[in-house]
Amino acid sequence: MFNIMSITLKGIFRDRVFHGILVVAFILPLIPVISTLSMRQVTELSITLSLSLISFILLLLAVFLGGTALWKDIERRYTYSVLSLPITRSSYLLGRFFGNALFMLITATLLGCVAAVVVWLVASGSPPDRQVVWMNFFLAVFFDAMKYILLVAVAVLFSTVSSSFFLPIFGTISAFLVGSSSQQVYDYVNSQPAQTLSLLTRKTASSLYYVLPNFSAFDLKVNAIYGLPLSLKGLFLTVVYGLVYGGIVLALSSVIFAKKEMK
Amino acid sequence: MKGLNQLNKGLLRSYLSLVLLGLCYLLLIVPFTGYMHSKPFIEKLGHLPRVEVFQFVAADQKQLVSASLVMKVMMYFGGLMEQNQVKYKLPPDYPAMSRIIHGSVKLDPYNMDAYYLAQAFLVWDIGAYKIANDLLAYGMKYRTWDWYLPFFAGFNSAYFLKDYESAAKYYQMAADLSGQPMFSTLAGRYMHKSGQTVLALSYLSAMEKSEKNKAIKKSYSIRLQALQAVRTIEVARDSYLEATGRQPASVEELARSGHLVKIPADPYGGKFFFEVEGRVSTTSEFTFGKPGK
Repeated sequence: MFNIMSITLKGIFRDRVFHGILVVAFILPLIPVISTLSMRQVTELSITLSLSLISFILLLLAVFLGGTALWKDIERRYTYSVLSLPITRSSYLLGRFFGNALFMLITATLLGCVAAVVVWLVASGSPPDRQVVWMNFFLAVFFDAMKYILLVAVAVLFSTVSSSFFLPIFGTISAFLVGSSSQQVYDYVNSQPAQTLSLLTRKTASSLYYVLPNFSAFDLKVNAIYGLPLSLKGLFLTVVYGLVYGGIVLALSSVIFAKKEMK
Repeated sequence: MKGLNQLNKGLLRSYLSLVLLGLCYLLLIVPFTGYMHSKPFIEKLGHLPRVEVFQFVAADQKQLVSASLVMKVMMYFGGLMEQNQVKYKLPPDYPAMSRIIHGSVKLDPYNMDAYYLAQAFLVWDIGAYKIANDLLAYGMKYRTWDWYLPFFAGFNSAYFLKDYESAAKYYQMAADLSGQPMFSTLAGRYMHKSGQTVLALSYLSAMEKSEKNKAIKKSYSIRLQALQAVRTIEVARDSYLEATGRQPASVEELARSGHLVKIPADPYGGKFFFEVEGRVSTTSEFTFGKPGK
């Protein structure tokens, strides 16, 4: 499994998609200039832009690298040669996943450090009303990375279901959009104005909420930007949620992948 | 050899078309930029989808979308300040500006730029004091540390809404949050009618001084000029009243009687006059783009 993991990691660094996406990171040094457009919250805007950019890059990586990892192998018929080696299909799958996950963590750490320097520069140029809470900033980057690792797990699941290119890519994007707003929908159907909706609609929405990944829990941008306090219990629950949900998705993927017929 | 020739020909043709297309681009870019620049603002501000749509599509980028919506309004507002306002054909689309700002704080209720910009145009340009104060009250629920919001709301209550009870409450909040006792005495100090202009002048000059954004600064300095003109007329009116024992019939009468050296100009392009109760007003209603000016 570790072999597959390191091969995956090396493969990604050589991947052209990765190089293309990395070009987006060159926007980071431009952030101080764009931030001066703000009237009253220059530093806050620089944090918003940095975190948004990191999040966007990680999303692209999760969708295009996570979503195509297995598909490429199957398409290029690498899977046959690999699976003829004495490794189980699950360790191959998990190796691919953890290679991607590790890569996401490395990228997030690097981008987070560069962004921190950018924000620090902006903050020393135009001091904000409230001090930047660096702990929140780094936690926001870390939780963002966790969120996209979870998305990679979802992408892997889609890849095992379908060998085509479209389902992993578009399925992952849809899962991301729906997973980012499932909390909002859940809050709405449980609010007073939504009581006029039919019971079936409300129950369906609630059940979907439990089945779909909840990505909004990992979004700590607002806490990082405005220095709002974080709940330790909430962070702990979110981490455990990520681990358990990710575990379920991977276990399911392993089962499907093990039963999959390879032509 | 023949193949090489063909290759060279092909390359030459590619270069030629590149140069030609480049020339076409140069010829096109000037009128195109001119067209885009002259496009009416209302088109530039555009029609945006409902905030619920944004909330879904923005996914985890709500703060970014909120900031870019505020920027959109900011650019539009900046454009208004650059134009020759008096000749301005279309009235500024204030309702759309207000709608976008309200949408942006739904996405990010902590966005200070949104409240700040709303305060700049909602109260001074369209007189939507109640809407402005409701928006500020919404912001206060989130930005619990920020003394600017109650400071703005206090000013709106005192100066525009004449609701001194709320003003005192807001100024007290601003005083508690900022630790500046000045605010707690503000509410009580200038509440006499004659003091209203002085209150506005002190508020505006403080705002103008601290402003870095050019467009907003300009909007404040124009407003300040207008109110300074009002203050000059008020002082002349009071001295006229003292000397003659009656209110002057018109601003021109003040000039004729020598109480006013020169009738000040209204930077909004209007004409100053006295309302029935002697208050100084202007036909521009202190805003650009008022019909029937």
